[in-house]
Amino acid sequence: MPAIHVNQLRKTFTAKQKAAGLRGSLKSLVRPEQQTIEAVKGISFEMESGELLGLIGPNGAGKSTTIKILTGILYPTSGEARVLDLVPWQQRRQLAYQIGTVFGQRPQLWYHLPAIDTFALFGKIYELDDGEARKRIAFLSEAFEIEELLKTPVRKLSLGQRMRCEVAASLLHKPRLLLLDEPSIGLDVVAKQHIRDTIRRMNELEGVGVLLTSHDAGDIEALCKRVIVINHGEIVYQEKVSTLKRRFLTSKLVDVRYAEEINPDFTLDGTEIIKTGRYGVKLRFDSRQTPVESVISRLAEAGSLVDITISDPTLEEVIRKIYEESGT
Amino acid sequence: MKKYWAIFTTQLTNRLAYAGDLAAQSLSIVIFMWIFMQLWRATYRAMGTDEISGLTLRQTLWYLMLAETIILSKPRISRTISEAVKDGSIAYMLNKPYNFLLYHMSVGLGDYLTAMIFNLLSGSIIAWLLVGPPPDPRGWPLVLAAMLLGWLIDFCFTALIGLAAFVTEEVSAFEWIYQKMLFILGGMLIPLDFFPQWLRSIAQALPFAYTIYGPARLFVEPDLARFATLLAGQIIWLGAMGLVVTLMFRRSISWLTINGG
Repeated sequence: MPAIHVNQLRKTFTAKQKAAGLRGSLKSLVRPEQQTIEAVKGISFEMESGELLGLIGPNGAGKSTTIKILTGILYPTSGEARVLDLVPWQQRRQLAYQIGTVFGQRPQLWYHLPAIDTFALFGKIYELDDGEARKRIAFLSEAFEIEELLKTPVRKLSLGQRMRCEVAASLLHKPRLLLLDEPSIGLDVVAKQHIRDTIRRMNELEGVGVLLTSHDAGDIEALCKRVIVINHGEIVYQEKVSTLKRRFLTSKLVDVRYAEEINPDFTLDGTEIIKTGRYGVKLRFDSRQTPVESVISRLAEAGSLVDITISDPTLEEVIRKIYEESGT
Repeated sequence: MKKYWAIFTTQLTNRLAYAGDLAAQSLSIVIFMWIFMQLWRATYRAMGTDEISGLTLRQTLWYLMLAETIILSKPRISRTISEAVKDGSIAYMLNKPYNFLLYHMSVGLGDYLTAMIFNLLSGSIIAWLLVGPPPDPRGWPLVLAAMLLGWLIDFCFTALIGLAAFVTEEVSAFEWIYQKMLFILGGMLIPLDFFPQWLRSIAQALPFAYTIYGPARLFVEPDLARFATLLAGQIIWLGAMGLVVTLMFRRSISWLTINGG
C-alpha cells in the first residue's frame, strides 16, 4: 500500500474581484465579479511508505494547496486522494492521529509557554498515556538536541531553534507520515542544515515517510530521494533526485586561471565562453556533447594552469531548464 | 474529555504567566463600581426609598459587581474565531485530533476563569468598601455554577458570530449588536427588576438574561427555587444554541477555503 495515492486531483478557488477605486467598489456591490483560480490542475502521483519525497516549485505553484488537501484541511474540487489508506477530507480526525504536520508559517507551539508545555499538551491531545509521552519527549529532545530549549518560553527562541521544536512536536505521536510545508522558510544556512539532518535521521530511525514542500531546492537536494516539480498547478517533472541531476546537471560551469595573460579572443571548440578576463576565463559546456576530459585537457594545453573549478548548476537553474524544455 | 481538560489547564498556566497584567485589567471594575455607586446612591436618595423593585442599594451594587465581572471577564471569542476564519488559520486547527469548538471553549474557559478571579477580587473589595458585606456565602457555589452555564450560552453566541465570518467576513456589527443586547436585555447596566413589567417579561424570555441577570440576581438573593428555575432555563438555551452553533460549524467546514497560502 502506498503511503499517498493521488489521482487527477484538482482544486479551484473562486475569488471576488473588484476594480480599483470607489467606482469599482460600488460596481462590485451591485454585481460582484468572480474569478476562478485553478490552483491544482489534475495532478497524480504516488508516494511509498517511508519515502522521502520533495515537492518543489515557485511560489503559487500549488504545492501548499496540495499538502493542505492531503492533510484534510481543504476539500478538493475533484479527483481522488488517499493518505495511509484514508480519504483525508472525509476521515480527517482518524488521519490526524497518524500524520504529523508542520506548516513553516503557522507555528503550533504556544507562544508564551515553554515548548515542553505544548509537548505535554500534545501528548494529551494525541491520547498518549503519561509514561509513554514522557519517554517520547525524552527521546525526541535528545534526537533534536533541544533538551535545553524545551524549558524556555517559545517566544524567546530563535527561528531555527523554534523550528526544531516544531518538527519534534509534530513527531510526538509517532506518526507514520510527516507532511512538512516549507519547514526551512526564513532559516539561515546552519539552521537549515540542522533541520534537514534531524528530519533525515528520524526517517532512518523510525521509517517515517516525509513529504516536503519547499521553494528552496537545497532542501530537496539534501533530503529527498525523489522529487516532484510542480508549476502552475501541474506536475512538470517527477523523478529520482539523482536522475534529475544526471539529466539536467550535464551543463557544467568551468572557471580557469592561468599563470600568464591570455588572448582576449580565447575560444574553445564545443564550449560557450561566458566571460574572459586578463588571466582567466569562465565557460560553460554540455558534457553530453563535449566530454569533460577533452575540455580539461585542451584547457591545460592552452597555457600553464593555476586553478580550475568545475561546478554543477544549482537546482534552481535546473528547474528553470525543465520549465524551458516543457515550454511553460 | 481529558484532552480538553489539558487544553483548559494549559491556558490557565498561559494566562497566569501574566498575572500582573490581569490584576491591572481588573482595575477597570473598580472605576465602574465607583461610578455606579454615585449614580445609584443619588437615585435611591431622590426616590426617598430604601428599596426599588425589591432591591436595596447594597443589593443593587453587589448585583452590578457580579454583572460587571461576567462582562469584563468574557474573552473575545467572536474576535478570535473570526480572525482565524479570515486569515485561514482555522484550517490548521482542523488537522489536530480535537473538536475546533470544544478547543476554543476550553481555551475560553481558561481565559474567563483567570480574568474572573481578579475581577471578583477587585470588584468585591470596592463593593464591600462602598456598601458593606456581600450577600449570603451559602449561595456562592450555586452562583458559580450559574455563571459557568451562562458563560457557555454566551460562548455559543460569540462562536456563532465568529463563524459568521465565513459568510460576511466582517463581524464587528454582529458583535456590537450582541454586546448591546447583553448590556440592556441581559441586565448588565440595570437589573431587569427595574424595567417596566412588559419589557422585563421580554428580557427574561430571551437568552441574554441567562448569561448575566440570572447569576447576578441569584447572587444577591440566593434561594434554591430561583436557582432551579434559572438552571432549567439555562440548560434549555444551552441545548438550543449548542445545536445551532454545531450545525453552523459543520456547514462552515464544507465552505472552507483558505485565504492566502
